[in-house]
This record gives sequence, structure tokens and C-alpha cells, in this order.
Amino acid sequence: MKTTVNLFVGLALFYFLLGGIYWAVGGEAVGITALTLSGALAALVGFYMWFAQKRMGGVLPEDRPTAEIADGAGELGFYSPHSWWPLPVALSACTAGLGLIIGWWLTFIGLGALIVSILGYVTEYERPTKSKH
Amino acid sequence: MTTVANPPKLVNSQMVRKPSHKGSQFVKWITSTDHKTIGYMYLITSFSWFLIGGILALFLRAELTRPGLQFWSNEQYNQIFTMHGTIMLLLFATPLFVGFTNVIMPLQIGAADVAFPRLNMLSFWLYLFGGTMAFAGFLAPGGAASFGWTAYAPLASSQFSPGIGGDLWVMGLALSGLGTILSGVNFITTIFTMRAPGMTMFRMSIFTWNALLTSILVLLAFPPLAAAFLGLESDRLFGSHIFDPANGGAMLWQHLFWFFGHPEVYILAIPFFGIASEILPVFSRKPIFGYKGLVAATIAISALSVSVWAHHMFASGQVLLPFFSFMTFLIGVPTGVKFFNWIGTMWRGSITFETPMLWILGFLITFLFGGLTGIILASPPLDFAVSASYFVVAHFHYVLFGTVVFSMFAGFYFWWPKMTGKMLNERLGKIHFWMTFFGFHLTFLIQHWLGIKGFPRRYADYLPTDGFTFMNEVSTVGAALLAASMIPFMINIWITRKSPMVGVDDPWGYGGSLEWATSCPPPRHNFTSMPRIRSERPAFDLHHPHIKTEGH
Repeated sequence: MKTTVNLFVGLALFYFLLGGIYWAVGGEAVGITALTLSGALAALVGFYMWFAQKRMGGVLPEDRPTAEIADGAGELGFYSPHSWWPLPVALSACTAGLGLIIGWWLTFIGLGALIVSILGYVTEYERPTKSKH
Repeated sequence: MTTVANPPKLVNSQMVRKPSHKGSQFVKWITSTDHKTIGYMYLITSFSWFLIGGILALFLRAELTRPGLQFWSNEQYNQIFTMHGTIMLLLFATPLFVGFTNVIMPLQIGAADVAFPRLNMLSFWLYLFGGTMAFAGFLAPGGAASFGWTAYAPLASSQFSPGIGGDLWVMGLALSGLGTILSGVNFITTIFTMRAPGMTMFRMSIFTWNALLTSILVLLAFPPLAAAFLGLESDRLFGSHIFDPANGGAMLWQHLFWFFGHPEVYILAIPFFGIASEILPVFSRKPIFGYKGLVAATIAISALSVSVWAHHMFASGQVLLPFFSFMTFLIGVPTGVKFFNWIGTMWRGSITFETPMLWILGFLITFLFGGLTGIILASPPLDFAVSASYFVVAHFHYVLFGTVVFSMFAGFYFWWPKMTGKMLNERLGKIHFWMTFFGFHLTFLIQHWLGIKGFPRRYADYLPTDGFTFMNEVSTVGAALLAASMIPFMINIWITRKSPMVGVDDPWGYGGSLEWATSCPPPRHNFTSMPRIRSERPAFDLHHPHIKTEGH
């Protein structure tokens, strides 16, 4: 965790510094904006990692050089065994995109299908009636 | 009385499952959430795009062999080189990184899958459909996009490039780019949260480190591209003036595009450097030289890679030459460090020249040439002289083909037993390598001189009096050899499809990272048991416990 925080905070500082240097030596607006936003993105991730690390407390087995494999034992989490949903989500997203070129009617069909398929994707394992576990 | 030996029974139910029908196998693949299956789908799809892009390249070379227009009109030629560049960079090389990382990275960190298995599949579909959409422009009235893969404003506007081919290109790539961003998120989360106990960050294999840094670059580079694409599409469809040259849109596009475009080069290079760093120690029988230095160099390359974008715009006369020239020279330093790490790994090792090692040596030589011409191009006065000529074409083919294709085949030969359980044929592999190696250098080495003599890129034609004919002929012969070199590879895959399973975890005998500590191919959730992780070479420690590795 510490390494990951350092990595992102370091990147953030570097990009802010670079943006500052670029600004100081007379760079143009697009580059200054892009470098500053890159720094902000790295800072966002770095801050979240730092926050998560603080909240979790202690050192995780994967960060302990002397950890045994058994230290990570327990439930790993739920893994979807297989899923139909990514396919319709991507298909309807592409239909909506294609609609921009071909005609609005197709965009609306695509967006409708996209909403339905995203709902299906998100609630695939949350539905009370059918247990897939 | 005879005794009958009972044949050993397979107790593992997975191994005696009924032979599956082709249809159910197909459904299994398209609904898969297994990172390995999705990785194979990525590898197969991107390799198919590689073949399509290669055929387009042959179309270009055929046209250029002789002065005059033989096969294509200027407009068709423009479409072909645009789609060649687009396919090779965005539909072949970038997804190839996603494919290799999907298959190998979770194995190397001892994870059961990636963090978001369904998101992984969604990324693949977005890539497949988006890529198909961009390519479908060839079927559209007016043909595919023809403004070059860089889509400079105002050339890419609806005024100068009308027709829906361009729109399909923009929207298709925007969707496929979304898939790439999602993959980046997936990989970063996986590496941060799903490492096995004891697998500290500084024990991860170099390939995993490089996959992590590449994913970070994806997060930095692809959103500006997506923004630029949506802006361009809004200009083309709704008549907005985002990239209107009247209000500085031409430079805005170049900045946004190359702010994506240069990190993109490293997105293509870094994972394949990682493959080289995996293969060299195995066939040199030495641990990787200077592990931490190598990681530090990779971090430096990825950090610096967002600060050099405008060296693609030197000739525009509107960028800060000293800043970008200095940064470009600077990024050469960590790249050089990596070279010394690779040489240090081979130095006094017991090198054997199996096919993966040959490919990596081919990569080292080819990429070195590309790096050296890169140093030349980093200097603005030299860049002005050869900008937009075949010198640049030769440079970036040395860099990208050298890294991506040579390392890709190295990775295929190296991890083929891990992915399929079968070894590829060594003799055919070597024929394949030498044909590719000579074919490539024959095609592209001479293009440096072609560029210096003044042949501009993206031209369909030249005059007999220009004196470009002989060099173009040589280049085309090389391209034919290069194309033919794919045949031994295909034969190789075909004849080894039924060869016996390797049956061991580590067929190369000196594998270090964790993927060599599980079976070939690995089970559904990758490991039935995992060794203790005490160094960056846990599989080596497991298989050769009598040799102590230096732990980090």
C-alpha cells in the first residue's frame, strides 16, 4: 500500500512540477492544462490509496515480505462464473454511437437498449428471485 | 493367472468432462469472465488485425514499387495508409498489450482473476465492435477515413474529408478507446488489491510492473484522445468550431492528439519491454540484472513520456523547441538504462538460443536502431530536414515493429506452452524468426536513405527522375519476404495443435515468475497451490530450492 501511495503521489508532484516548469518557460495553454490535470488525476488516485490505507490500518499480507500464503486464506470475494451482460452493453453502446452518424432514431434505440442492458449488468447478481451463486 | 493392472483413474472431475460441442464452446467463450479466455480472445483478435493491417501495408508497397499509379487512386491510397496506421496502432498493438496482460499478469501476481471480470469482457466487446466500426468505413460510400491516423485539423473536418467513413472512424475509435481505459482501470485495481501474500510491490515481475505503468499511462493518455475525438465528431456532425483553424483549432488538435500520441508510443513499448525482461533471464540462466534500477527506469520513462508530446510538432514552428528537445533527449536516458540492464542480464550468462530468445535479440537490435534515429529526430535542426519523410517512417517502424512485433512473437513462443499446454516447433520458429528479421530490415533500413534523399511519406507516387525507384523496389521485396514469414508461423500453430502436452509447470526449466508455478494451461482460477513468495522469482525458488536467490 505504501509503495502504491508513493507511486501516485510522486507522479502527481512530478506532473505539477513539470506543468509549473512548462508554464515558467513559456509553454502554451493546452500543455499546461493537460499536465496540471494529469497531476490532479494522479493526486486523486494517490489520495484515495492513502485514505484507504489509513482506514484499513495494519499491513496487508501482500505487503508483508515474510507473509505465508495461508495468511491470505479466507473468502476471496465473489467471481462471476460467466455472464451474458457485457455483450448487450457493448452492442447497445456501439448502436448509440452509430446512431449519431446514421440518424437520431438509431441513437434513441441504442440508448434505450443501453439503459436496459446496464440495469441488467449491474443487477445481475442482486436480483432476489434467482440465486446464481 | 494374470494380474491386470488397473489404469489410473482421473479423479479430478475437471479432467474427465465430456467433450464439448462447438456451439457450447462458442457460448462459453462469448460469455466468459475468465481472464485467460478473454486474454486469448484479445490476442486472437489483435493478431487478426495485425494480418489485416499487414495486407494493407502490402497494398501500399505494391503501389510504391514503380513510379506512376498502378493499383490505387490517390484517394484510395490515402484510405489505405490511414487504416494501416490506425489498425496497427489502435487495433493491433494496444489491444495486444491488453491481451498479454490479461493472460499473464494475474498469474504472475498469484491472483484468481482480474478485479472486474465482467468489465474485462465489456472492454473486449467495445474493442471488437469499435474496431469493426472504424474498419467498416471501407464499405461506406466514399470509402474509409483518409486523413491519416493523426486526423489533423482542418483536414479531418467535414469540409475537407466528407463522407461517413471519417465519422465511423472517429466513433469506432472513441468506443474502442473506452474499452482500453476500462482495461487500464481493471489492471491497476488488480495489481493493487489482488497480489498473493508475500508478493510485495518490489517482488512483482518486471512484466507486471510494466503492465501497471502502462495502465497508468492509459489513464493519462486515452481520456484526452476521447475528448478530442468527441470534439472532432461534434465539429463534423453538428458544425461546432472546436477545431476550427480560425480560432486556433489546428494547434489545439495537434496538442491534444500528441498529448495522447506520445504516451501511446510508450503504452505500446513498455509492456513489450516487460516481455523482454521476462525472457532474457530465463535463457541467460541468470536473474534479471538490476531489478530495482529497471523498475526505476520504467517509472522514469512513464513519468517523462507525457512531457515530450510536442516533438511530433517541431515542424509546426509553434512549439517550445528547447523544452521538448531537452525532454526528449532526457527520456533516452532511462531507455538506455534498460538496455544496459538487458545486456547485464546476458553478460556471462549461459545463453541458449531458443526461439523466444532469438526474437528478443531481434528486438534488442531493431529497437536500438530505432532509438538511435530517435536521438537524431529529437534534435530540431535535424528533424526539420527529414520531417514527414521516409526517414521518420523508417524510424517509427524500427521502434514499433522492433518492440511490438518481435516481442509479441517472443511472447507467443515463450508462453505458448503456458497458454495451450503445447510447445511450438523450434525449427519452424527459427525459420519464422530469420525470415521476419531479414524481411523487416530489408524493407525498412533502406527507407532511411529514401527519406534523406527526400521521398515524403504518404505520397502515392513519384517520378522516375526522382531516383527513388531502386530503393522502393528493394523495400517492396523486403515487405514480400516479411509477409511470407507469417506462413511458417501459421504452419507451426497448425502442426503443433495436436502435439503432446508438456505436462510440467515450467517447460523452459528456468522460469522465475509465478506463472511457471502452476500447470500448463492453468486451471480456471489459476492455482491449485501456491509456493511461498520470498523473492521476485518464486517459481524458481520452488523448482530449484538449492540455489538461493538474492531476495528483495
